[in-house]
Parts: sequence; C-alpha cells; structure tokens
Amino acid sequence: MIVVPEFVPAIFASWYVPAIYAGIIIAFIGLIGIAIQKRDIHILILTDIVGLAMLIFVAAVGTDLAEALILPGLVVELAEILAISEILISREMRKSNKQSSLLPLPMVLDMEIMTTAPNFLVLVLLAFGAFLTGFTGGAVAGGGILLYIISRKSRGLPIAEIEGIGGVSGIAWCLWIIGFVLFFIAPDLWLLSLFMAACGLVLKVASKIGLIGAMIREEYNRE
Amino acid sequence: MDLASLGGNILGTIPLGDIVLYVTPFHLFMFVVVLIFTALIAISRTETQVEGSFGTLKDHKVSVGLSEFKSRRFLAIICGLATAGAMITGDLFNFTLFIALIGIVNVGIVSAVKQIDVLDAAYQYGIIAMICSLPLFGGASIILASTGTLSLFELASMATATPMMIFGSLLLLMGVAGETGIAPFFATKAEMFRTPGSPFILIIHLSSLFVIIRTIEILLIIIKII
Repeated sequence: MIVVPEFVPAIFASWYVPAIYAGIIIAFIGLIGIAIQKRDIHILILTDIVGLAMLIFVAAVGTDLAEALILPGLVVELAEILAISEILISREMRKSNKQSSLLPLPMVLDMEIMTTAPNFLVLVLLAFGAFLTGFTGGAVAGGGILLYIISRKSRGLPIAEIEGIGGVSGIAWCLWIIGFVLFFIAPDLWLLSLFMAACGLVLKVASKIGLIGAMIREEYNRE
Repeated sequence: MDLASLGGNILGTIPLGDIVLYVTPFHLFMFVVVLIFTALIAISRTETQVEGSFGTLKDHKVSVGLSEFKSRRFLAIICGLATAGAMITGDLFNFTLFIALIGIVNVGIVSAVKQIDVLDAAYQYGIIAMICSLPLFGGASIILASTGTLSLFELASMATATPMMIFGSLLLLMGVAGETGIAPFFATKAEMFRTPGSPFILIIHLSSLFVIIRTIEILLIIIKII
C-alpha cells in the first residue's frame, strides 16, 4: 500500500528506497570506524555519523510529518553527544585529579584582523543582522557580538560587562510569543505581528550567541 | 491483536489534533504505578555505602554530596516522568522520544559520580544508546513511511501487516533494547549500579522494565501475529 498524493512526481516516491540504502551504508561506515578506533573521543565523534544516518532515515519519508520529526531527532542526538562528552570530561578530570575549564584552549588568536578592524566588522555585522531580522539576522548579529568579545580578549583589553543580557533575551522571547499569538487572534494585523516576531527573534538569537561569549569569558576569568 | 484484548476495554480517547490518545486499564495502571514510584523517589534520601576491607578495620563511608544529590534527584524525577509518558502515549514517535529521553537521563544520573569504573560504564552505555537511536527512530520512520500514520489507534485498526511494517517494528525493538540497556547490552548497566545513591540509581532499572512491557504491547499492535 503506497499512500502518495497524485501531485507528487513519481521520481520523488521512487527515491525512498535508495535513501534508506544510503542511510544504511553511512551507518555501516560509521560502525566500521567505531570498531577500528581505539581512543574514546574518536569513538564519540564517529558515533555522530550513525546519528546522521538516523536523520537520513527520518528525512527519507519526505512528508510534512517527517519534517516535524527531524528536529526532535536532531535535538536528541545533540543532547546525547553532550551528555557523553560531559561523562568523558569528568572521567578525565577524575583520572588526572585536576580541574580544567570548559574550553581548554589558549585564547591567543594571533591574527591581524583581531587588531586592525574588528570594530568596523562588528558594526557591519550588527547592522546587517538588524536588516535581516529573524533567525538568520540574530545569528549574524550574535556572531558580531562574539567577534567583538574575542577581539577585545585577544588584544588584552578589559571587556565591558553587559549585565542582564539574559533579561533582554527573556523580553525578546515574550515579544516573539505575543507576535505569534497575534497572528491567530487578529490576522488583520499580520504585518505588525510579523515584525514583532522577527524583532523578538533577532534579539533572542543575538543575545544567545552573545551569551556563549560571556560564558567563555567567565571560564577564563576563573583561572 | 486488537486493542481491547491487549489492554482491556477502551475507557475513552483524548483527541489532540492528529494525536489520538486512548486510555485502557492497562495503560492507566502502568502510568499510575510509575507516578507512585516517581513520587517515592522524589521524597527519599540516598543511601550511604560502607566499603569494608578484608582483614583490617579501615572501613570507609562513600556518601553523596548535596549538589550531586540534588542533580541526581532531579534527573531521576525526569526519568520517572518520561517513563510515565511512554506508558500513556498513543503516538509512536512520542514513544520513541520518551525512550530516547530515558536513555539520556540514565547517562546523566551517573555522570557526577566519583568512581572511574562507573564513568567508564556510563560512557559505554551512552555510546550504545547513541548508536541505537538509529534503529529506534529509523524503525518509527519506516512504519510512518509504510502506513502513513504514527497513531497507535490508527495502526491497530489496519487489517494486515506488510513486510515493511514488520521490518520497522523489529528495528524499533532493537532500538529500545539498546536505549534502555536490556538483554544484549546489560553489562554496562550492571556496572553503573556500583555507586551509592540507591533509590535514584534504581529508576534506571525500573524504567527499562516498564518500557519493555509497553514495547511488547506496541509490537503486538503493529505486527498482528495472533
């Protein structure tokens, strides 16, 4: 029994089985890699290949429902890899009996761009992010904030503390939700609600990526 | 098999859009039992182990610190709630998501312990759980592809099982076995138990016992052998 609507071209429906085979082959390659590798961290990274094969399995169905299922699958995969890497870190810390930071890399980025024109680049990124709005714009603007923090750090300058960045994120989230609800309550105001949602999202995502920079900074201050 | 002979008379359905939850005495019983166990775990305190050494009097206590106790209790409650959700859900993909959540939380419960052996075992368990998310979600998606629905209520009303549905449900069984650490993968889970903090560790075991029963019911609904 094949439940494919008539307006779907026949070639799309016939791609399901090749996609499943591709997923199986990718998973098999990943499993061979896991069997050969000896170091734990490499095994963990190779396990992610098997997780990607899982995403191919789900994506091969190709309906709206499957599209809605990919996101939870991806989140589960990420959560598992985070949990296991946390286990690995705490085990290595137990073995060597010393504490280490979350990101044990020296913050010496000896690149010319960090000293010549970071402020200009940050301004361009922020302006472009504000122009884009939405998720993409938030990511661009957040990348700008991150670049600013890293460049200040690499030049050895003090970084301005921005307290309450989490509060901004929360307010932006409220803006987003109000805009979303307004879509359903008053469809006439679609332009207003669209802009509310988009601006809320740009602030939300930008402050999230900015928070990554803040967290890394806190880790380094601790040492 | 039809729903009534597996779980007793259907007490009612809860239509939530596409997802139609159905309630039978079997599901209700399992759901309530898991919630009772979760409540017991939420109000209990951890045990303290005494490691004796042979021939001397140098026994020493292995106790659990306050922050570790709190995080472990939180994760144990989450694990109990996920198990309860897997008992009552009427949607195949929600079931797989609850199973995956149980797998993650099981790793998290033992992630803060001090014994290196236990951390090693938790690492191995986590790797198996990650690999087994492929058959788990893959099986659910193959069932979706071959039937067009994920609702167990709809799946139960189908006349026959195609070979693709049987293949998908077998993959689902493999995935559940790996995620909850039953038969072929039990060795790592036995190692994970060798740490103090008894009631919270036991939810790892309890969840897998309940999930097996529910999985067998789902397999019987899909395959229709009898």
